[in-house]
Amino acid sequence: MDDEIILETKNLKKSFGKFQALRNVNLKLHKGEVLGFIGPNGAGKSTTIRVILGLIKATGGSAAVFGKDVWKDSVAVHKNLSYVPGDVYLWPNLTGGQTIDLLLHMSGQKHTTKTDDLIKEFKLDTSKKNRTYSKGNRQKVALIAAFSTAVSLYIFDEPTSGLDPLNEVIFQHHIAELKKNGKSILLSSHILSEVEKMCDTIAIIREGNVIETGSLESMQHLTRNTVAVRTKEPLDELQKIDGVYQLKFSDSARTTAEFSADSDQIGNIMTLLSAKIILQLKTTPPTLEDLFLRYYQSADEQKGGE
Amino acid sequence: MTQYTQTFTLLKANLKRDWLKMTIWLIVLVGMFVAVAAKFKSIYGTTKQVSAIAQTLKSQAMVSLFGPLTTNHLNTAIIFAVEMMVFWGIFIVIFNFSLSVGITRGQEESGLTEMVLGGHPVGRLAPLAAACLELVIANSVFVIATGAGMMAANMPESDENGNWLFAITLGAVGLSFGLISLIFAQLVADSHNVTIYNYAFFGITYLVRMMTDVSNPDYTWLSPFGWIEKADIYTKNNWLPVILLLGLGIIGFAVAVLLNGNRDIDSGIIQVRGGKRTSRFLRGSGTLLFWNQKTSSLFWIIGMAVLGASYGSVFNSISKIANDSPVVRQVLGQNGMRHLEQNQILSFVSILGVIFSVLAVVGGAMVTSHLYTEERQGYLQIISTKPQSRSKLLAAYMAYGFVLSVIILFAALIATMEAGNSVLRQPLAFKYFWQIFIAMLPILALFTGILVALIGFVPKWRAAVWVALGGSFVISYFGRLIDLPAWAMKLSPFYWFRKVPLEHIDVVPVTWMTGIALVMLVLGFVGYNRRDIES
Repeated sequence: MDDEIILETKNLKKSFGKFQALRNVNLKLHKGEVLGFIGPNGAGKSTTIRVILGLIKATGGSAAVFGKDVWKDSVAVHKNLSYVPGDVYLWPNLTGGQTIDLLLHMSGQKHTTKTDDLIKEFKLDTSKKNRTYSKGNRQKVALIAAFSTAVSLYIFDEPTSGLDPLNEVIFQHHIAELKKNGKSILLSSHILSEVEKMCDTIAIIREGNVIETGSLESMQHLTRNTVAVRTKEPLDELQKIDGVYQLKFSDSARTTAEFSADSDQIGNIMTLLSAKIILQLKTTPPTLEDLFLRYYQSADEQKGGE
Repeated sequence: MTQYTQTFTLLKANLKRDWLKMTIWLIVLVGMFVAVAAKFKSIYGTTKQVSAIAQTLKSQAMVSLFGPLTTNHLNTAIIFAVEMMVFWGIFIVIFNFSLSVGITRGQEESGLTEMVLGGHPVGRLAPLAAACLELVIANSVFVIATGAGMMAANMPESDENGNWLFAITLGAVGLSFGLISLIFAQLVADSHNVTIYNYAFFGITYLVRMMTDVSNPDYTWLSPFGWIEKADIYTKNNWLPVILLLGLGIIGFAVAVLLNGNRDIDSGIIQVRGGKRTSRFLRGSGTLLFWNQKTSSLFWIIGMAVLGASYGSVFNSISKIANDSPVVRQVLGQNGMRHLEQNQILSFVSILGVIFSVLAVVGGAMVTSHLYTEERQGYLQIISTKPQSRSKLLAAYMAYGFVLSVIILFAALIATMEAGNSVLRQPLAFKYFWQIFIAMLPILALFTGILVALIGFVPKWRAAVWVALGGSFVISYFGRLIDLPAWAMKLSPFYWFRKVPLEHIDVVPVTWMTGIALVMLVLGFVGYNRRDIES
């Protein structure tokens, strides 16, 4: 990763009539970085991407790719990016192979051996007409074209929603390869495990606001580890200590417990546990799921309290 | 009967979606029909007026357009029936086609049918049955409103039986063609092709009707579209055509039901073949558009050439002078007669020029407006992120549409000339057709400009171009027959070149029409570069 900024949005806003789809979106993508853009359906992921692609015009704020305005200089920006939409619609009368070549030609690229390798790898029958393809196969067409396009920035909008697990692995493998070659990638998803596996940085969007940005590690201080423990002596004191939540004992002697712990309190908690002689201990780092749920729950609770 | 479960729920949902389209169509179709009927008395109320128009209608040119006069005892109501039947038949068939394609293939393409059939307790045949019922409802409303309107208009010499038969015949021809369109919706897998099949079928029935009307009206029974003339409204009031049309409709629906049982969802009886694995040809939006449109463009060009040739092949009948008495012959002499005959054909060619241009605009505008259809369907989302400007994209669709309409017009006119000259003793010079061709170019440009401006600024209202085109056509084709005031006639761009090729092309309207077209084009491009791309 390097300091060169490939993509940056500042206070991006977009309204459709009275509906404010984007309220405040700040994103930064560096060279060689994979930025995961996550949020529930309808949070504004696709709208943000469509603004970045110059398909729709921002109502406020700014968005720049390669330092160029995404709306005014869209053609120049598009020369060096490749995009795969979430729902791929392709001209029904073209075959998959014709579509791939068309997309390559339009980006000034050629059908190379890499293209053939990708077709083989994804096991796509390119002689079939697009109208006979399933959603997953249409997605493969777009992915093959994108992966065999040599550009600096790749944008994927929920790219694996139609792929089976095998093809998902192929996809992840190619993302890793792009990253290795110093390419920048923006990947939106609501599948959290996907983002967790592939991304360096994560931006969380909710109701048109980016509410958190940072590396996965830097976000973990905000989250709680899940701890499952069995000790020799009873763990009653856990109920009194700070930073322990959702405590559950699973035996009457109160020696087997499961709870979530604040990351910054983990030291105190461990001291207490070792005093009770640990027989078995398992801690699980927070998944994005937890992170996600916590953010959204707390925001909803706040709302509820208002 | 479980196959039809939930038909009415679907019908309700479809009607909810289509009601605005249906209402607008019905108001225009019924409103204009009744308005013309109500005004007819002031135009052809007297015997003198009736016999004057009868002379015109008896000429073969008019027979080819409106059908033959079957009686010599003419009156206001009969003139009305002759002038309106074929014309309104065409409109109501178009209305039914547009409804039927939307509720069958259109729905299936959008994925609605799959969701409804797959995930809900809905019968397999329910969508088809709902489509049929919607057509029945649309045409019934037309019949009731038109029938009632005609009773209220109270045209001289009209009678109750005739009024209702008129309305029912029109409703029946609409329903019948709409139900036949359901067959095509089972055969091919997308709405675009269904539309082509629909109009190919309609075109054939129309041509058979036209050719038999000028040669031997008995054979007009061969064409289902010709049946409507056989109702002989206000003379014999024959109900047989209604029965035949309804029978044909029922057969159409039955065949569609049978075919529906033999196909999978999202596919047609005619299987989609695979194709090439690679493409050198497809390089950008222009080549892509050509690739996607080439078949239907070819269809248009050939279809229009056939239409032109059919009109041309009746030129010898058209050249016959209606008032062919020995006195006239003597006064005019052989040269004079020839001149008169030629003028008669040329003014017919002028009318044909208008008809061909309207159809050419339809053919071209359908391609250009595809830009927005593809935008809505999401096909453009990947290519609009390619390093090619929006202006280039719009220019490709605009240019293709305009050039196609020019080619269509040219093909139709040349085919008319070739076929016409093969039957005429005194061939018509190429220059006449060329003049019409040139005169119509600003009009083609004007409608292209209007459409581009709509796509650029208010794409949801792009259908306004059809209203403008339809309106211009009705005014110029019909305006003289219903005696429209001059200011209204001037609203139609065709009005300004109505005397070509008998007279020279007036440069003034050419200039301002081209000017408006250019302004519209510029506006359209500016708008298209500024607005959001949908979906």
